[in-house]
Amino acid sequence: MKSKIKNAINNMNLHRTRFWIQLVVFVIFVYGGYFAIDLGSKLPVFACPYNSASAGACYLIPLQHQLSMPTRVLLGGAAISVIVGLLTFLAWFVFLNKAWCGYMCPIGTLQDWFTALRKRTGIRYSTYTRIQFEKLSKIKYIFLAIVLLFPLLMGVGLLGSQWSAAFCQMCPARIISPMLSGDFSQLTIDFSSKTAMVLTAIGIVFAGLFVIGSFVKKRFFCFFCPMSALHYIFSDLSVVQLKKNGSKCTRCGDCYAVCDMQVKDIADDVTSTNIIRDDCILCLKCVAACPEDGVLHFDILKLNAFSSTKEGFEKRMGMEKPYEGQR
Amino acid sequence: MVDFVKRDQNDIFNRPILGFLFKNPKLLMVLRTVVAALFFYAVYFGFVHPAKDNLFTGALFWGIFWSLFMVATLPTFGRIFCGICPHGFLGKYITAFGLQKTMPKWMQNRYIGIVLLVVGWWGIYYTFPGVWKTPFATAALFGGMSLVAFAVYYLYKDMGHCKYICPIGTLSRAYDKLSFTKLETYTDYCKDCRTFECASACSHALKPFSFANKNQTDDCTLCMECASSCEAVKFRFTKPAEQLAGTFKTLNAEIWAYILILASIPVSMTFAHGLNRSRIADSMIWNQTAAYFGMSEYAGGFAFAYALLLTVFISVTGLFLASKVLKKDYSSTFSTLGYAYAPLFILGSLGHTLETFFTKDYETIVEGFAQAFGFAADASALASRGDAWLHYFGLFKWIAVVWALVLIYKRLKLIDAARWRKISGYFFASFVVIFFVGINLYQGHVLSTYGVKERGGNTHGSHSHGGDSFQKISFADKTGKRDFSGAEKAAMIKEDEPIHFTLTDPKENAQNGGGRNTHAMSGGSHRPSSEIPSKKAWLVFNGNRPVSNADIETFVFDAGHELKDVKVEQKRGVSTYRFDIPRNGYYNLIAKNCAVKDDTLWYKIAKLEYLHAQHGNDDVYSDDVKKELNIDGIKIDLIRVKDAREKDFFYRHSMGDTLTFKALLDHKPLANANVAIALSSGWTKNVTTDENGIAKFTIVRDYFPAWNEFDKMYKQNLLLTLTYDEEKKGQIDGNEYQKAKYILTYPLSFYPNSSDYESYGYALILLSITLLCAGIVIYLFRRNRTKPFKEVRYEE
Repeated sequence: MKSKIKNAINNMNLHRTRFWIQLVVFVIFVYGGYFAIDLGSKLPVFACPYNSASAGACYLIPLQHQLSMPTRVLLGGAAISVIVGLLTFLAWFVFLNKAWCGYMCPIGTLQDWFTALRKRTGIRYSTYTRIQFEKLSKIKYIFLAIVLLFPLLMGVGLLGSQWSAAFCQMCPARIISPMLSGDFSQLTIDFSSKTAMVLTAIGIVFAGLFVIGSFVKKRFFCFFCPMSALHYIFSDLSVVQLKKNGSKCTRCGDCYAVCDMQVKDIADDVTSTNIIRDDCILCLKCVAACPEDGVLHFDILKLNAFSSTKEGFEKRMGMEKPYEGQR
Repeated sequence: MVDFVKRDQNDIFNRPILGFLFKNPKLLMVLRTVVAALFFYAVYFGFVHPAKDNLFTGALFWGIFWSLFMVATLPTFGRIFCGICPHGFLGKYITAFGLQKTMPKWMQNRYIGIVLLVVGWWGIYYTFPGVWKTPFATAALFGGMSLVAFAVYYLYKDMGHCKYICPIGTLSRAYDKLSFTKLETYTDYCKDCRTFECASACSHALKPFSFANKNQTDDCTLCMECASSCEAVKFRFTKPAEQLAGTFKTLNAEIWAYILILASIPVSMTFAHGLNRSRIADSMIWNQTAAYFGMSEYAGGFAFAYALLLTVFISVTGLFLASKVLKKDYSSTFSTLGYAYAPLFILGSLGHTLETFFTKDYETIVEGFAQAFGFAADASALASRGDAWLHYFGLFKWIAVVWALVLIYKRLKLIDAARWRKISGYFFASFVVIFFVGINLYQGHVLSTYGVKERGGNTHGSHSHGGDSFQKISFADKTGKRDFSGAEKAAMIKEDEPIHFTLTDPKENAQNGGGRNTHAMSGGSHRPSSEIPSKKAWLVFNGNRPVSNADIETFVFDAGHELKDVKVEQKRGVSTYRFDIPRNGYYNLIAKNCAVKDDTLWYKIAKLEYLHAQHGNDDVYSDDVKKELNIDGIKIDLIRVKDAREKDFFYRHSMGDTLTFKALLDHKPLANANVAIALSSGWTKNVTTDENGIAKFTIVRDYFPAWNEFDKMYKQNLLLTLTYDEEKKGQIDGNEYQKAKYILTYPLSFYPNSSDYESYGYALILLSITLLCAGIVIYLFRRNRTKPFKEVRYEE
């Protein structure tokens, strides 16, 4: 019985499963407000509260607001609210690790749908070269620094209130998420100060790049997402992990070929067992594409929940073609 | 001897600038000479100018050497302070032609130095405040210490003074273990060495070649003599406190240095300066004990004694209980776990020292040097007390606490015991850390709850910690007095003059014009430490003159429409109305004043609707929140009808909004009443209510700044005054009247309309350009890539 369930899971059509999960979660996060769903404001995904129908709020918003409190307040009693906020965020995060990106994030889902659209139109996709990859991969840490440092500088008094939630002003999710519920009010440039003007103009440019970029490059924005960087810092705390048994790996490169995020270590690293990298979105496509028994496995509380099998690979080959089908 | 080594990447001697700074013997010689010259000049200067106007002596010893340089370098680069110490520098030469006897056994006791420091310096410092810090006493102290040092150097060999007599010798050795540097040798090269130049070069008779294996540097003062004698000596970067994670030959004197210094400095300071500043200082146990013995003027000494007793008792008890649960003997537990207390003092004081440097010492140092060397310098403090960024120095204390807790964990790993024993042992071993956190929190609690004692009657008036805050208080008093005349005028209000609420202090902001306000969500709460946030309001009339006469009844309806009390505080003749705002939502503040005069009832209401919004709580904006509030206690009311656009707690009125009001008299719609609208900019308008009591008007735009001066948080105030005369007999509070005059005020504030500064057009243009450019770039890039690849072949 047990092995039967296990087999069924290992042989599942990940592509379809993931599509339905993403669709349901997308509806919850983007339109959940209509169903009176409120998941709080410490979510580890881009559930942007600028969209009034959102079922919750991205943690970066309260984080930036909290850190921008006057320093005396921040380092006084308010430090507790910052810590509580972080712990709430972590409480959400530990359940899914970076699968929050791969399965939950509405902005990530949106990018996957752009990709699906591109596939239908028959336009081929782009990839970065290794050198580009190495350089661009650092940008998310710059954004994370903006998220953390700018509010602190506001608290000290070095930056004015026009820098409030500076990252959000640049974030494409702020502009795109409200549009999903018919609110176009974020598609504006704020001329009230030079800072606001520059930041919102950057936001508009990023929104444009988001649309074009995610059309030609899979998961274009995830590569620059500060939330992804924040996730990675706490990744080891999570109860779910992606593990690799390097001794059985044949280094065929299937996993790398299907990886939306071009994480090279998934194929090349045969020594580390924990194979989650900062760019990983834990979409588990690599596990589904791995033709060897038990080389890649997705663990929940150290229990093997979904693992790569020869049988599963062969079953899935009809749907996921790592060589020909990928456009 | 080794002439050449291939240096590691983490070797400081391998770095171009740092290597030069730490290793170059000529530079070190110059540096030591300069420091020694400064030292003795300052001592001389202190004797020549013993009066308080001598800034230099104090600036050099108390501003630079101790505590800034010492506290800043010990937990970072290690004992480099000893490396340039004039005593050690000259002592080396004195020893060379001295008697070179072996120190008697009783003198080879590290507690001599520790006791000298703790009792001789700190004990006197607290008991007789101010005695040590006069220029003469400073000069005498350091002059005397130099004489003792030179005598000991002359008599005994191997720099015994540094090891045993110097008050900060053992202390530096102890705190050096936290640093991220370590002096040792390349052991691969040392293996074949038979000449031991490093050891013979060491004036302290140490064996540098053994440092790497011993995981410690004994009494090394980082004088770098060994580094000039042999190339195999390295000075490497380590992880901070790397030594403390491993085993080494422990020395109980070091642990006692940690505990006693912790007691003498942070704990005693908290007692004698921090808590003694509070209003409840007299009830503190040390002051009570001092009063019991009739020695109140020496209360600081008692505070110090209590600090010592408590700290020693708590640390020893903690370690003793830890040794019991760990089933190890006490002495080995003590020497293993005691090292974890290292960061508590040194890092805790680092923040304080840096803060003092920026707020005070920098100025004193520059001016002191200018005084000593006769040049003109006009320095001002780099920061003033209360600057926001200075608060970050307060974090050092908490880093120290966390670090100490981590170190206890690491040191516990060195003990072999069962898991649960270690866990409970951890708890006991951290007693002293908990105590340290406790007194810090307690001090904050006492100072915020009971406040700071008024000037005078303070037993430690001379000390800087108290002095600054006293200045602040007296300054506040002065500004208060200046405004007092204005407040006195406030008393006279005529019956027909309406009063209204304002959220800005009328004393602080004399002009009632528009202006920048602090955003509610950015932490504008006046008392950050209290649990329930509250909001202050003032009653004013005739422009912005504060109301102070009584006879006004105030109450507030909270976000849940429940009647709550308003706390009225009298401050310099002006009443402040404070109400709690625990939740997000609308708060209705009402002030009622009615009087019968000449058969006329003057019925005045001041109403204020305040929308409280704060991020990070669970309140949900629903229709319930928007529900109209019917107030029973008042006869006349003006209710703002909220439209559909008002749908979150952060709603703001903006220019161009049409506001709808409903006037009620005895809970029935009031027709034909006059509503006067006045903007703070001067614009006015009158509307009359219709048969349903409804009055509508649109907020005009009255803000036309230049583009670059535009402020979207520009706040303007608007005051609605509803007046209604009723020819109706009646009685109120036993007074009969023939006619009634009702006056109700309703202030609100508004901001520029977002359409004044937000542009869809430009955004769409920019978006289109981005899409177009990105599309073209990608297209061109791809077309180039799809061009056939032209291979260039070369004939070989």
